[in-house]
Amino acid sequence: MVSNEVVVKVKSLSKSYDGTIAVDGISFEVYRGEIFGILGPNGAGKTTTLEMIETLRSIDSGSASIDGVDVASKPYQIRGMIGVQPQSPGFQDKTKLTELIQMFASAYGEKVDPLSFLEEVELGDKADSYVEQLSGGQKQRFSIVTALVHNPKVFFLDEPTTGLDPQARRNLWDLVEETRKRGISIILTTHYMEEAETLCDRVAIMDNGKIIALDTPKNLIKALLKRGFEKTQQVERANLEDVFLDLTGKHLAEGAVK
Amino acid sequence: MNFALAILVLVLIVFRIGRRLYKAKYTVVKKVSQPTPWQTKLYTVWVFFVVNLKRVFRDRLALFFTFLFPLIFLFVFGSLSSNNQISLRIGLINNSSTAFAKSYVANLEHNRLFKINKGVATLAQANQSMSRGEIDATVELPTSFGTLVNGVPTGQAIIHYTHNNDQAEQTLASLMQTQFNVINAHYVKTSQPLKITSQVSNQHSLTAFDYTFTGLLGFSILGVGIFGPMNVFPELKKMGILRRLHTTPLRVWQFFLSNMLGQAVTGLLSLGVMLLIAVLVYHIKIVGNLAELSLFLILGIILILGIGLALGGWAKNERQVAPLGNIIVFPMMFLTGVFFPRFLMPQWLQTITNYVPLTPVIDGSRLILTEGKSILDLGPQLAVMGIWMVIIYAIAFRVFRWE
Repeated sequence: MVSNEVVVKVKSLSKSYDGTIAVDGISFEVYRGEIFGILGPNGAGKTTTLEMIETLRSIDSGSASIDGVDVASKPYQIRGMIGVQPQSPGFQDKTKLTELIQMFASAYGEKVDPLSFLEEVELGDKADSYVEQLSGGQKQRFSIVTALVHNPKVFFLDEPTTGLDPQARRNLWDLVEETRKRGISIILTTHYMEEAETLCDRVAIMDNGKIIALDTPKNLIKALLKRGFEKTQQVERANLEDVFLDLTGKHLAEGAVK
Repeated sequence: MNFALAILVLVLIVFRIGRRLYKAKYTVVKKVSQPTPWQTKLYTVWVFFVVNLKRVFRDRLALFFTFLFPLIFLFVFGSLSSNNQISLRIGLINNSSTAFAKSYVANLEHNRLFKINKGVATLAQANQSMSRGEIDATVELPTSFGTLVNGVPTGQAIIHYTHNNDQAEQTLASLMQTQFNVINAHYVKTSQPLKITSQVSNQHSLTAFDYTFTGLLGFSILGVGIFGPMNVFPELKKMGILRRLHTTPLRVWQFFLSNMLGQAVTGLLSLGVMLLIAVLVYHIKIVGNLAELSLFLILGIILILGIGLALGGWAKNERQVAPLGNIIVFPMMFLTGVFFPRFLMPQWLQTITNYVPLTPVIDGSRLILTEGKSILDLGPQLAVMGIWMVIIYAIAFRVFRWE
């Protein structure tokens, strides 16, 4: 699944606002088909990092490239190579899902069959609905589709599961997994450590604009244990989320919003 | 309707171009030939235009403000300016019971120059009404009015008026004197060496409504061009829709161009409905060529839309844009002939307001619509519009923000 081919290359990337350093010379690489997580407390510089690679913010110093294309000098070419899932996806109202897909495809210079894309995420029967008629989870799935219509090389997700119920979150994880199987690299930020542990191949942990650790979740945990760390409480064999999912079912709560 | 036909032809042309782009893109799958980058970019504009146009027609509020709102103004201003004939409001007190007095009263009642207030029957009531300004003057026919002397009616009518209404008195007196002269001439034969004859000229002069109507067209263009994007763009920013589009290769000019097409079509439809009502209800005379008028109005809409794109594109939220929008829109309403004709202004103000962006739009559409000018005759108007278009769009592109 994950190849050795480097797709995203970030080299001593920096950004400061009014003298405050937001991102402080960070470097990392992301491989083809890899799910790469960026973790860190609020204000650590995660979103700024993403926005610089997404061409939304200018780069103060350092460089970023995707498939050898420089982000700073060729922003429009880069935008054609990436898909972006914002924190809270918004779409214009009174517009059918099929029309929105057409719009986004056309923005990437593509013409597609909207229905096949909708069916991929089980929204085929909602083709003629408006976005405002979708539930939160459905909206997330729809947003992902619109970000992938042009088959990008890299897919960015900024806190994609914030505010979703456990079922919708698990469904989104499945979607991210499937996306990676198509050879698309994924860079995501999250505040849920469990999400990072199950989903990400590697994670970078940021604090004060710097990457303070970068490895697979397993290795990071091993390293911590090696330093003699011990949890104060014995780990339960099941947690409350397991109870919740067992009681309410693992399938998506589609019936809730029609 | 001619106008509807003109719009239809225009829409068909635009659609044909769009279809060709659509097909050009479609052949990529089948043929080896790649669409040129330009075709692809215009295809994007086309899709955005079509989807957003459909959206307007699904939005009841947008429909109301685009089509019904200008009509309300049309009806209000139309009914205000339709009774534009000079008429004196007078009270009439007839104390005489002679046959002549009766027939004279009937004559006054049918004369369109006078509007007789029936509520006035006594001199006291007349004075009260005059002091309130409800009537301009009062005609009193004394008891002796119309008594026959040697078979000829005689008498004296009295005109009552207030100090600050002597103009009404003069008009009324001369009108009545003319009437009496005709009647006198009927009874007492004298030769009249000096006479007046009137001839109607073939020229059709502009009515007040002609000015009002093109002013209202300008008002409607302000609504479509400025208030449209000024309200919609900040909303799109708030919901992160523009931010999301910013992550795609979409260019600002593509986004602007799709907006121009959309507003041109909805604006022209809205103006067409107004014209239809003006023709059917207020019998406005269309002298000029409607296709040329449509073309000119589209230019006008695109020019004014530039202001809307600049305001909406710059603003981060509604609160930021509302005051600035009002500062720009309200002076334009009063300086460009939207609500009253500019020829009422002092000369220096007319000279200055010649260069306000909306002025040439209103003047030009009046020149085509009611004076039958060709768009080729509108050099001065088109020059001012062209210069503004360059300035306004240069600003709009410069200040545009995706979030």
